[in-house]
Amino acid sequence: MTVRSPLVWLALSVLAAFAVPLIAKESARGGGAPRRVFPFAATESVLDNGLRVVVVPMDSPGIVAHYVVVRAGSRNEVEPGLSGFAHFFEHMMFRGTERFPSDKYNDVLKRLGADSNAFTTDDWTCYHVVAASSALETLMDLESDRFMHLEYAVEAFQKEAGAVLGEYNKNFSVPFMSIHEKLRETAFDRHTYRHTTMGFLKDIEDMPNQYDYSLKFFERWYRPDNSVLVVAGDVEPGRALDLARKYYSPWKKGAASLTTTVDGPQGGERKAHIAWRNPTLPYLVLSWRVPAFRPDSVEDRSLDVLAAAAFSETSPLYKDLVLDKQWVDMLSASHEERRDPYLFTVMARVKDPAKVGAVREAIEATLRALGRKSLPATRIAAVKSNIRYAFLAGMDTPGRVAETVGGFVQLTGDVSSIEKTYATFEEVTGERVRDVAARFFKPENRTEVTLAYEKEGK
Amino acid sequence: MIKLTHLIPAVAFLAAGCIAVGGKGAAAAGAAGVPASLVPSKDNPLVAVRVLFHVGSVDDPRGKEGLADLAAAMLAEGGSRKLTYSQLLDALFPMAASIGVRADREVTVVYGTVHRDNLAGYYALLRQVLLTPRFDAADFERLRADQLNDLTTRLRAADDENLGKEALAAAMYAGQPYGRPVSGTVAGLRSIKLDDVKSFWAGHYTRDNVELGLAGGYPESFAREVAADLTKLPEGTPKRAEIPVPRAPEGIEATIVTKPARAAAISIGFPLAVTRSDDDFYPLMVANSFLGEHRTFNGRLMNAMRAERGLNYGDYSYVESFLQEGGSTFPRPNTPRRRQAFTIWIRPVSPKTAHFAIRQAMRELDRLVREGMTKADFEATRDFLLSYSRLFTQTASRRLGYEMDGKFYGKGSLVDELRKRLPAMTVEQVNAAIRRHLQAKNAYLAVVTDEAAAKGLAEALASNAPSPIEYATATKPEVLEEDKAIAVFQLQVDRDRLRIVPASEMFEK
Repeated sequence: MTVRSPLVWLALSVLAAFAVPLIAKESARGGGAPRRVFPFAATESVLDNGLRVVVVPMDSPGIVAHYVVVRAGSRNEVEPGLSGFAHFFEHMMFRGTERFPSDKYNDVLKRLGADSNAFTTDDWTCYHVVAASSALETLMDLESDRFMHLEYAVEAFQKEAGAVLGEYNKNFSVPFMSIHEKLRETAFDRHTYRHTTMGFLKDIEDMPNQYDYSLKFFERWYRPDNSVLVVAGDVEPGRALDLARKYYSPWKKGAASLTTTVDGPQGGERKAHIAWRNPTLPYLVLSWRVPAFRPDSVEDRSLDVLAAAAFSETSPLYKDLVLDKQWVDMLSASHEERRDPYLFTVMARVKDPAKVGAVREAIEATLRALGRKSLPATRIAAVKSNIRYAFLAGMDTPGRVAETVGGFVQLTGDVSSIEKTYATFEEVTGERVRDVAARFFKPENRTEVTLAYEKEGK
Repeated sequence: MIKLTHLIPAVAFLAAGCIAVGGKGAAAAGAAGVPASLVPSKDNPLVAVRVLFHVGSVDDPRGKEGLADLAAAMLAEGGSRKLTYSQLLDALFPMAASIGVRADREVTVVYGTVHRDNLAGYYALLRQVLLTPRFDAADFERLRADQLNDLTTRLRAADDENLGKEALAAAMYAGQPYGRPVSGTVAGLRSIKLDDVKSFWAGHYTRDNVELGLAGGYPESFAREVAADLTKLPEGTPKRAEIPVPRAPEGIEATIVTKPARAAAISIGFPLAVTRSDDDFYPLMVANSFLGEHRTFNGRLMNAMRAERGLNYGDYSYVESFLQEGGSTFPRPNTPRRRQAFTIWIRPVSPKTAHFAIRQAMRELDRLVREGMTKADFEATRDFLLSYSRLFTQTASRRLGYEMDGKFYGKGSLVDELRKRLPAMTVEQVNAAIRRHLQAKNAYLAVVTDEAAAKGLAEALASNAPSPIEYATATKPEVLEEDKAIAVFQLQVDRDRLRIVPASEMFEK
């Protein structure tokens, strides 16, 4: 049970080779109909109660993944003082029902030898189990039960709040979490992306007092018409759908509607600094507001290509700052998909504190140049190839396939968005990348966060 | 999962799935060739490569601690004679492939997975890196600085849980190669020169010290080609460093590492006499799964400490070194060790409850030792491990890694050993193994916490003062009742051996 965002952040920052969006996107080569990118035949159905069911058979002898995606995350935390609640609620989903109290629930999963957990992000919460295919019916029974009949006492609720605080504590020693908190708080004024999925510490500490709100959260968002079931692996689609109908049909629809408040224009550069109490190399984070994810937006896909072209390990900037000058030991860019407008973020960890300014200037100069001159077609082609093969490399286990499918469906509402997204890459050219660079990377749209070591009392 | 023998009939005739693939060089040398683990599956569009060298941080020369890790980094991020590292990255980029090199205590693995569309192009690069590494002075300066920074600003400053684990190893294996991080020491790294890396590579990355592993959808000729190429590595059989038997702890020997921190990260452990090579290891795996299976709610520790009391995020135990594979909860392959330890990992707790948490974990261990497992608990745990371990090898690369590790221990892969042994195992065997190898009196303890909290904790531990716990939230009466016993559970902490060390002094030399 975990919060995903800071971990994704970490992964993107550490593995510069994968400094492309979490869900990689692909481009078909030019000419003719776009090549399909998703290597399996997915079937998609919608039950009468609105639950979308996607089944993906693949070669994974004897293993199946059962993923339930709820289209609610910290984005849904609109009431003040209740940040972090989507994630906390994810924890509560393991506290049992009348039929399967938590110890019995755990016993069943244990007998199955299942790998089971959940994670929460800004936009969605995912409950995942990977187990033997022969266990699929048991899994459907067990999992559907908790979405319909979750039941927990105040004591269990309050103890789980302790575990959530423990999760905050375990992440605290790493600078990324604090940077992430500060960046959002500075870049957003009203939208719920202003807080991390983990939530503000004061709200986490107040969680034990919010039992009633937890019931409301469940009522509002844990509904079939706000959820998706993905089954991937060694599975026959007809049987999987029959089982889904049998076990998930009684789940009552009635999801609440969410209206998020999108921030207006940023209206000027923003800056924030974190004084870090443990020795660290200084971090420099530059972030620009960009539009929400749309599968058919060339602008959106062009930002993906730009992130890889300009900031991955093969970029001229990486060669200059990391390999040649050796001023920086970590450089990455992330353009993460979100349902509402979010951020394009560049992060550098600088080896010499005196060089932070020069590194900032080098990043800005790179972006200015991108806004003036088109990247060569060969570079664009190499990026598209990288994105395609990175996607295919991720299609290797039922769990990863289910997570990818779940990620697209939570963003867009349907599985066809995978191919739509990749077809849109076709239209990305050097000129389109130049245009988005000129449009978005303006100082008045930028937020800067720095973090550096400063001893207590300084 | 498909059984290995179904996948590779040729291998089925050979003991432990091991074959020697001879190349031209091998024939000329009259040797059997390069030992290889082959797990082909022709329908898999991906090909996984693992080239394993029997060299790790245990082989660091005295005063050059960190050399094995730095040599691995120079392979991974140093290019080849023909290609600078930057050119190598450019060539790998369109394939979305990478050449990973990871050193551990005992072995170093060069690994990668590539789509078979790109296998020829990928291997042309991998071959260069393996046979003709570049060893450029600028790359050396960059990577040595990165490794130093990782030690001083990540491990010692921004990764309290791993610092706790390394502090535990430092106490358990004091003065021995296992007693320092793979990345070495500050003094060791500062003394390493580029020539040290070159001679270390020539002496350890030899044709007589390498194993080949291939899995996935590669063509048959590919295995022969790679094996033949590996015989072109320098000759030589390096002498392995000895790993002495570590000193058994007497009572609780505590190390408290101090740094600015919100919480207290805790690791506890003691040396074990068994590894996967020994029959007793497998019943101990069952017992351990029952006590603290990694990242699940199966274990007693997790349920008692997190679920019932909300002390922290997680509480687990281990009967061998466990490094989690990124993006999963499963153990990473190719990290085998000749010596293992029993350990408990208590994820960060509030400093106020640290003493209580340590007591509770040791009390649960004590209970396991005294009571053993019931037949019902044993059967449920055995069934779990039988099915769960099959999930360890969902990708070609991981299946391959486990095959190779089996050979290190002179056994089959862990998954195959469990499948073979668990059905016939009895609860009596498990309880006998518990009694032979586990106990709750003598252990090393490492805590990473704030300086202010450290002093109080040290005094409380040394004086065996009661550590009652107060909850701000409603708690079941039976839990409160048990807490009274936990709060006074006797830990025989050795005051003379209790150390408080600033994090900045850890792994300095």
